[in-house]
Amino acid sequence: MRILLEETPGTHPTISVCHGGSFCNVNSDTLLSSAIAIVITLIVGFVVASRLRSGRPGKLQMIFELFLGYVRGMVRTTVSEDAGFVVPLAATVAFYILIANWLDFFPLHSPVEPANADLNQTAAMALVVIAVVQWYSVHVLGWRGYLRRFTKPFEMNTFVRAVFVPLNVIEELVKPVTLSLRLFGNIFAGVVMVFLLGQLYGAGAAFISHFIYGIFGLVLLIAWKAFDVFFVGSIQAFIFMLLTIIYFDHAREGLHHDAQQEAHHDAHGAHESHPAAQAA
Amino acid sequence: MNHAIAIAGALIGAGLALGGGAIGAAIGDGLAGNATINGVARQPEAQGRLQTIMFLIIGLVEAMYFINLALGFYFITSVAQAVK
Repeated sequence: MRILLEETPGTHPTISVCHGGSFCNVNSDTLLSSAIAIVITLIVGFVVASRLRSGRPGKLQMIFELFLGYVRGMVRTTVSEDAGFVVPLAATVAFYILIANWLDFFPLHSPVEPANADLNQTAAMALVVIAVVQWYSVHVLGWRGYLRRFTKPFEMNTFVRAVFVPLNVIEELVKPVTLSLRLFGNIFAGVVMVFLLGQLYGAGAAFISHFIYGIFGLVLLIAWKAFDVFFVGSIQAFIFMLLTIIYFDHAREGLHHDAQQEAHHDAHGAHESHPAAQAA
Repeated sequence: MNHAIAIAGALIGAGLALGGGAIGAAIGDGLAGNATINGVARQPEAQGRLQTIMFLIIGLVEAMYFINLALGFYFITSVAQAVK
């Protein structure tokens, strides 16, 4: 069992699974702590599912119902009525990130290193989310609508839309990068702060004349840890979920516009025949 | 001598990045707080909902600064390791 502030932030013990350079290296500490977080997430989920009671819900079930009801309402208002598959994805990602962040409450390095302080972990989650978003975009808009989405200001003329194509491509490529870097940056900055405050504390403990520095550093360490885990950790889990849902909303861009155009062209009005127009 | 220059450059760069990031994050926090105060002054009953949104926006804004902090530290350590 090693304390977090003994390790330089950003260094991970690695296990090599094959002989092919850095792609074969696995960060063993991240693997272990994310496995612990996954197991806790699954256990809590299955316990809640096995104790479901209608009429007289337990406390845990009530919290889950509130949370899932909130996510469901947000998906319905933001994305669409028929995008129900987003709810389990977004809620699971948020709950897992929350558990992984709250595990950092124990400032240990060796059993539970902060899982999200590793870019590989957050990038994996962001790539999964963005892959599903792209699939959903193609599924809803069709390939033609999907490609048309990259010429985004739909009301502009053709030349302006052609100029905007590279910008839209960059916007699409940057989405997974910012999504993963936001979570990684927040949690990793927490680790860095713990490391630096720990140096302050260590300097105070080494020289008795700097004892007051040591107390100062310890108080700062406790305050920072509480803020980092319970405020930043919770908010970042929520923001990851929120951005997931918002990206699903972006994936539907152009659908509303098509329906409007059809409504203009169609003398009878497409609003009754087109459910998408009503949803949007 | 070259090593000292490299480390000094890395430290100055990280300091500049942190300073600029802190300015941006502070302005962003201030704007979010300003808008929240305006909203609460206009509609005091909306305080709870506005506060949730304000903390959300602050989380988004400060993420930029934390990304700066993390990447700055990463660059310093990588430069220091490369120099060694």
